[in-house]
Amino acid sequence: MGSQSLSHSGLMKKNKKYWVPLCLTVFAVLVVVSYRSAKPRYKPENLSDLLSDFSWLGNWPKWLDFPLMQPLNAVFEWLIKEYGMFFDGINNFLLGAYSLMKDFLVGLPWPLVVALVIILTYFASGKKMGTTIMVGFCTFFIGFLSPRYWDKCIMTTCIVLIGMLLCLVVGIPIGITMARKPKFRKSLLPVLDLMQTIPSFCYLIPGILLFGLGAVPAIIAIFVYSVPPLIRLTDLGIRLVDKEVVEAADAFGASKKQKLWGVQIPLALPNIMQGINQCVMMALAMVVIASMIGTRGIGDEVLLGLQQLNVGMATEAGIAIVLLAIIFDRITQAYGDRIQEKTKPKKLKKK
Amino acid sequence: MYTIKKVLLSLSLLGTVLVFSTSAYAACKVHLGDFDWDSANVHTAISQFILEKGYGCKVEVSKGSTTPIMAALFDQQVDIVTEVWRDNLVQLMEDNLAKGNIIELGINTPESGQGFYVDKPTSDKYGLKHVNDMKSAKIAALFSDPEAPGKGRMTSCISGWTCYTINLVKHKVYGLDKYYTNFDPGSGGALDAAIAGGFKKGKPVFSYYWEPTGLMGKVDLVKLKEPTYEQGCWDRMTTVVEDIKKNGPDVYKPTCACAYVDMALTKAASTKFANNPANKPILDFIKAYTIPTALVNSSLAFYMDESGGDMEETAKNFLSNSNIWESWVPSSVARKVKAAL
Repeated sequence: MGSQSLSHSGLMKKNKKYWVPLCLTVFAVLVVVSYRSAKPRYKPENLSDLLSDFSWLGNWPKWLDFPLMQPLNAVFEWLIKEYGMFFDGINNFLLGAYSLMKDFLVGLPWPLVVALVIILTYFASGKKMGTTIMVGFCTFFIGFLSPRYWDKCIMTTCIVLIGMLLCLVVGIPIGITMARKPKFRKSLLPVLDLMQTIPSFCYLIPGILLFGLGAVPAIIAIFVYSVPPLIRLTDLGIRLVDKEVVEAADAFGASKKQKLWGVQIPLALPNIMQGINQCVMMALAMVVIASMIGTRGIGDEVLLGLQQLNVGMATEAGIAIVLLAIIFDRITQAYGDRIQEKTKPKKLKKK
Repeated sequence: MYTIKKVLLSLSLLGTVLVFSTSAYAACKVHLGDFDWDSANVHTAISQFILEKGYGCKVEVSKGSTTPIMAALFDQQVDIVTEVWRDNLVQLMEDNLAKGNIIELGINTPESGQGFYVDKPTSDKYGLKHVNDMKSAKIAALFSDPEAPGKGRMTSCISGWTCYTINLVKHKVYGLDKYYTNFDPGSGGALDAAIAGGFKKGKPVFSYYWEPTGLMGKVDLVKLKEPTYEQGCWDRMTTVVEDIKKNGPDVYKPTCACAYVDMALTKAASTKFANNPANKPILDFIKAYTIPTALVNSSLAFYMDESGGDMEETAKNFLSNSNIWESWVPSSVARKVKAAL
């Protein structure tokens, strides 16, 4: 860490004399652009009026308004026109995967689904009876709350699972790269911050224009919202692997690839599993918001309850979402715990 | 401890001074109810501006979906709602009028339209003019619903709006439900985005929509004909609609259905607010408030194209370019509003 901050400040020093004037120039250009693009009725007649009449210092003047909205709209329009086919392709692929999965699971008899969940939990948790019984009970209770919820929860599960798969495929490689390349990490961290803080409607509504109403913009939204914790925890997990262990691997002459697959990833797995767990939880948090763009699932029951002032309905559906969250959480956590036990050095355990 | 008390005391004093200094009539407080569609937003913005600048009132605006805002009005929490789609809420309105929860304050926009719309190119190509023209698997395939194979999709109202249930009943009565899903877009913004997105991509659009709206001026939609509006038929349908709203879609009974009436949009106030004699000048203003449909449309167009999404700017634009509002208020108020423009 110390050497890093040192090199960072060194970098700053080297470029300092370019940085300050560059920023000032950019700022000046932005002000001039905003002044020139403002509507004439907002502008003072002469620039010199600004020096004699200081009323513009009271309220923020309308001519000091950087026109970001119009170019963004133009870029968006261009995206739809030029790359509409490309987005349709993504849409068809994700929707196909979603429909296939949903139709299959909805088609199965419900006792079979409950049984499958129980079997999955049993093996994922390393044959822990307590967890298995609890998860089985939660699964049963979803349909038990209201038969309507069963299919809706399956739809939600499918959306969350597909969003998750997307997160895994993209997030873990990015996390690994981040851990190995500090420069890449430095440039990506602000992007992750942006993804976590930008209000979800900012990308949901453009999502509708690009993909249409329904499941696909929700999957994209889930991806944007829940991939950052996975990336962060993968990165952290790999960086936290003991230096001595990595050095030992180096001493044995392990190649970079062998070091990664044989040492770093297995030792980082508990952290990565935690990332996956967080990723699922955040995906589920997105479910109600996604129903505001016409995504079918358990979220729209909550929304409907809210819109019809039906407190009971909203709470009941809310409980179903919590049950779903418990199921996902228990399975991923239990699996994570099992991996952690496996990766613990055996000798230490015996002591 | 003593210093904390002193600080608190001086803060509360300062607070009182601030509250009294911000408005000339400290007693005048209005809570406006606003909805999640743009024409309601325009009316709220215009009345808010006049109330604040002309009457010196403190105006609070709550924005939401039809059901919660109307419920807040019936519950006397909201004072005035400046755009009520009365005919969609006939039963609810009449119940609450009878109970004395609200009073009506006349018409806000003389004409409005709502119904099922198809984009012009598709309508021309396949000769879609009437809802019955939609009833074929071939046509439904044009509007295919990717999540319900074999069916088309009509983007409908959001489930919090009464028209969602009305459309549900209409679909069943017209026999459209065999071919189309009555698709809840989830929010007003999503409905607009679905229509705008369809036009941008050049895809067929089949949707519920209404005017006056800003989007209507920008896209070319054809309204499908339905059986003509008839009071008796509408009332019978509304009974079924209200029943479904309370007890779920399973209680559907075959009924009659007809076109939405080209209705006048109205205004309403809570009885508690209306009965307070101090509010009389405000009620008089709201009663007089009426804007012709064409002007609402041009305001909405201004809002979408020129204001940069700024409702206050839109209200100011309306107030400076039209003088019909001067007849709603006493001349002293009009002067103050003009001075604030």
